[in-house]
Amino acid sequence: MRNSSQDTVSRMQPAALDGKQADAGALLSLEGITKRFPSVLALDAVSFDLRRGEVHALCGENGAGKSTMMKVISGQYQPDGGRYLYKGNESRFRSTREAEAAGIAIIHQELNLIPHLTVAENIFLAREPRKGLFIHKPKLVEDARFYLNRLGVEISPDAMVKNLSVAQQQMVEIAKALSLKAEVLIMDEPTSSLTDAETEKLFKIIRELRQEGVAIVYISHRLDELAQIVDRVTVMRDGKHIATDAFADTSVDQIVARMVGRSLQDVFPPKTAVPSEDVLLSVRNLSRKNVFGPVSFDLKRGEILGFAGLMGAGRTEVARAIFGADLIDDGDIMLGGQKVTIRSPRDAIRHGIAYLSEDRKSNGLALKMNVAENITMANMQAVSGWMGHISFSAEARAAAEYVKAMDIRTPSIHKIVRLLSGGNQQKIVISKWLFRESRIMFFDEPTRGIDVGAKYAIYKLIDELSAKGIGVVVISSELPEILGMTDRVAVFHEGKLEQILNTRETSQEEIMQYASGRHPLQA
Amino acid sequence: MTEHQKDLIQKFAALAGLLALILVFSLTSDAFFSMGNGMTVALQVTSIAYLGIAATCVIIAGGIDLSVGSVLALSGVVAAMVVKAGYSVPVGMFLGLVVGAFCGFLNGFCVTRLKLPPFIATLGMMLVARGVALQITGAQAISGLGDAFGELGNGSLFRVVKTTANGFPDVVFPGIPYPVILMVILAVVVAIMLSRTTLGRHIYAVGSNSEAARLSGVHVTRVTMFTYVLSGTLAGLTGCVLMSRLVTAQPNEGVMYELDAIASAVIGGTSLMGGVGSISGTAIGAFVIGILRNGLNMNGVSSFIQQIIIGLVILLTVWVDQMRNRR
Repeated sequence: MRNSSQDTVSRMQPAALDGKQADAGALLSLEGITKRFPSVLALDAVSFDLRRGEVHALCGENGAGKSTMMKVISGQYQPDGGRYLYKGNESRFRSTREAEAAGIAIIHQELNLIPHLTVAENIFLAREPRKGLFIHKPKLVEDARFYLNRLGVEISPDAMVKNLSVAQQQMVEIAKALSLKAEVLIMDEPTSSLTDAETEKLFKIIRELRQEGVAIVYISHRLDELAQIVDRVTVMRDGKHIATDAFADTSVDQIVARMVGRSLQDVFPPKTAVPSEDVLLSVRNLSRKNVFGPVSFDLKRGEILGFAGLMGAGRTEVARAIFGADLIDDGDIMLGGQKVTIRSPRDAIRHGIAYLSEDRKSNGLALKMNVAENITMANMQAVSGWMGHISFSAEARAAAEYVKAMDIRTPSIHKIVRLLSGGNQQKIVISKWLFRESRIMFFDEPTRGIDVGAKYAIYKLIDELSAKGIGVVVISSELPEILGMTDRVAVFHEGKLEQILNTRETSQEEIMQYASGRHPLQA
Repeated sequence: MTEHQKDLIQKFAALAGLLALILVFSLTSDAFFSMGNGMTVALQVTSIAYLGIAATCVIIAGGIDLSVGSVLALSGVVAAMVVKAGYSVPVGMFLGLVVGAFCGFLNGFCVTRLKLPPFIATLGMMLVARGVALQITGAQAISGLGDAFGELGNGSLFRVVKTTANGFPDVVFPGIPYPVILMVILAVVVAIMLSRTTLGRHIYAVGSNSEAARLSGVHVTRVTMFTYVLSGTLAGLTGCVLMSRLVTAQPNEGVMYELDAIASAVIGGTSLMGGVGSISGTAIGAFVIGILRNGLNMNGVSSFIQQIIIGLVILLTVWVDQMRNRR
C-alpha cells in the first residue's frame, strides 16, 4: 500500500517538470465567465488563468466575487456564460466531486470536516480503501499517515477531528487534497485563524507543493503576508477582473487601490452625526469566565463606537452578553446611569437594546416568513389588540412605511425574505429594530456578504441612525470600515478590551498593534 | 406569481384531490354519497382532526408529538375511572383533560428545560402514558359507565325524528354529532389563533428560526411549552370523546393515532422542518385519510390494501410539495 502512495508522488513529479517547461501554458483558464444570481451579477465576464507550480493570490473586497469564482472553478456553481479550460480542454464540472476527480481541490475557510470521524476517515471519506465488503482499516490508517508525514505534521490518523485545533484541521484538509492527487489547490483565507508559527508552517508546505508543480490559488485579506509566497496576483472588484500582475511588478498599495477602486471618501458617506455628551450605556467590568473580560466602556447618544479585533477576540461575545443572549458572570450594565439586570434578549429589548447578528440567516431572520412578519416580529404588541389579535392593516402600514423609508427592494411586503438579496435582508433586520424603537443598536459585521453598492446604503443608514441620537456599536473585522464610520474604536484582544482609541487620531497600524496584543508604547 | 397565489394553488390542489376522491367513491359505491354516510365520515374523522390540529401547532413550532395516542388512552381511562368512582361525567372528563394537559406539560418540560429532542421526549411519554393506562386498569376495559358517559360521543344536535303511522321512528335528519360540532369549533378557534394572533405568529417564528425568534424577544420556551400543552389537552379531549363513543374505556385505544395525526398535517402541507403549515390544510388532510378509509371500506378493499394506499398518498403529497418548494 505504501508503494501505491509513493507512486502518486512520482506521478506528480513529471507534472512539475512539464509545468516548468511549459511555463506560459496555463493549467486552468477561465475566459469571460459570467455568473448571475437572482439579485446580483456576481461574475461579470471574468478571465483568469493559473499555471502549474505557481501560487496565485486572488484579492478583492468582500463581495468582489472571489468566492463565487472559486466555486465555479471547483464545480460548486455552473457558470452562466464563458469558457472554462482545464488542461487545454473545455470542461464543465457539475459537482465538486467531478472537479476533485479531475484534480481540483478546494479548502474552504470554514473547514469541511466531520467532527465525529477520525483524521484518517475524513481524509478518505467516500473513497475508503476496502477489503471485500469492509473498510480496510490498516490501509486507511497507513495511507492517511503517509500524507500527514509528507506534510511533516504530527497528527495521529486515529485522532478524532473534533479534538484537533483549527490549524491541525487545516492540515488534515491539505492532506486530503494531497490524497486526491490535486493539481489545483484553492485555499480560501487559510491563515485567518492561525497563529504566526502555524502560518509559517503552512507557508513552508505551500512552497513545497509549489515545487511539486501544484497550482495554488491563494485567497487572503492579509495582504502583508502575500510577499512571502505569492508569484502572481489577480485583483477583482464588483464581480469584475481588474488586473493580473507578477507580484514583483506590483505593490501592496497598488493592490489595495485596485481592490477599493476609489478613495475612502467615496466608500463611506460623510459623517453627519455628532455624538452628544450624555452617556446612554455604560458597561463596567463585564466578564464571562474563559470567554471575555473584564470589559468597560461608555456609549454616548449619537455615537458610533467600533469594536475591532481579530477573529475570536470576544467582540461578538461581549455584544451578545449585553443583549442577554448569553449569560455573564460578573459586571454591571447601566442605562442612563441606572443599573439594569438583563437576563434574556426580552429584558434587553424592553430596555431598548437591539442586536443585529453577524449571521443574518441563522440568527436574524425567519427566512420562511414574509417581509412584514419579519419587520414586526420584535414588536408585535404595536400591531395587535388587547387580546393578542393582529391588526393586519396596521401591520401592512408599518411594513410599507419601512419598505419605503429603508428603500427595501421587494415586490411586496408579503414576499418571503429568503428570496431577497443580502442587502435587502439586512435592511429588513434593521427595520425590525427601528420599529421596536431601539435606542442602542449593536451591528455585528453589518456589511458581511453584501455587495459593494449596498454597503454604502448601510453605512449611510447607520450614520442616520446615530444622527437621530441612537447609540451604535459596530463590530467589524474590516479596519477600513471601522476607520471610515466610527467616532471611537474599542480594540479587543483575546477577550480583553485593550484600548479605546479616537478614530480620527488613530490608524490601521495602531489598531492592529493593539488587536495583536502588542502595546505600541511598549513595542 | 406571488407567494400568496402559489399558496392558494397548493391549497386548491389538495382540495381538488379531496373532491376527486369524493367523486370517484360516489361513482363506485351507491351508499357513499349520502347524508348518513357523510355524517359517519365526519364522525370518524373527528379523532384524526383533533389530534391533527394539535400536531399542526407542535410541528409548525418545530417539534413533534408522538405521545398523543397513548395520552388519549390514559386520559380516557382516567375519566372513566373517576366516573366509575361515583363522580359526575363532566368532572370525570375534566380530569381526563387535565391528565392530558399534564402529559403535554411534561413533554414541554423535557423539550424546553431538559433540552431533549422532541422525538425522544415524546417517545418516552408514549411508552410511559400507555404503561400507566394499562397498569391502572389492569389492562381491562372499563364498561358499564352509564348513558350519560356516552352522551358526548353519541349525541347530536338538530336530530329530527318523526314517528310514522305504524309506530316506527323515522329519522328525517340524523343530526350533527357533538364530536363533529366540537371539531368545527376547534378548527376555527385554532386557525384564528395561528393566523391572527401574536401567539400564533410566534409559533411560526419559533419554528422558522428559533434563535432569530429568541433574539427578537419572543418567549421561545413559553411558546414551545404552549404547543405541547395544547397537544396533550387535545389528546385528552380525543380520549374522552372516543371512550364516550364506545361507552367503554379501553387502555389499548388509540394505538398509532399519532401517526394519523402527523400524516394529516403533512398531507395538508405542514413542513416537518417547522415554520410552515395551516389548519385548513390539516383539515383537508384529515378528510383525505377519513374518506379514503371509508370509501375503500365501502368498495370492499381490505384494510391491508388501505394501509398501502394511504402510505402511498402520504409519499405522493409530500413529494409534490418538495417539488413545488425546489423551484
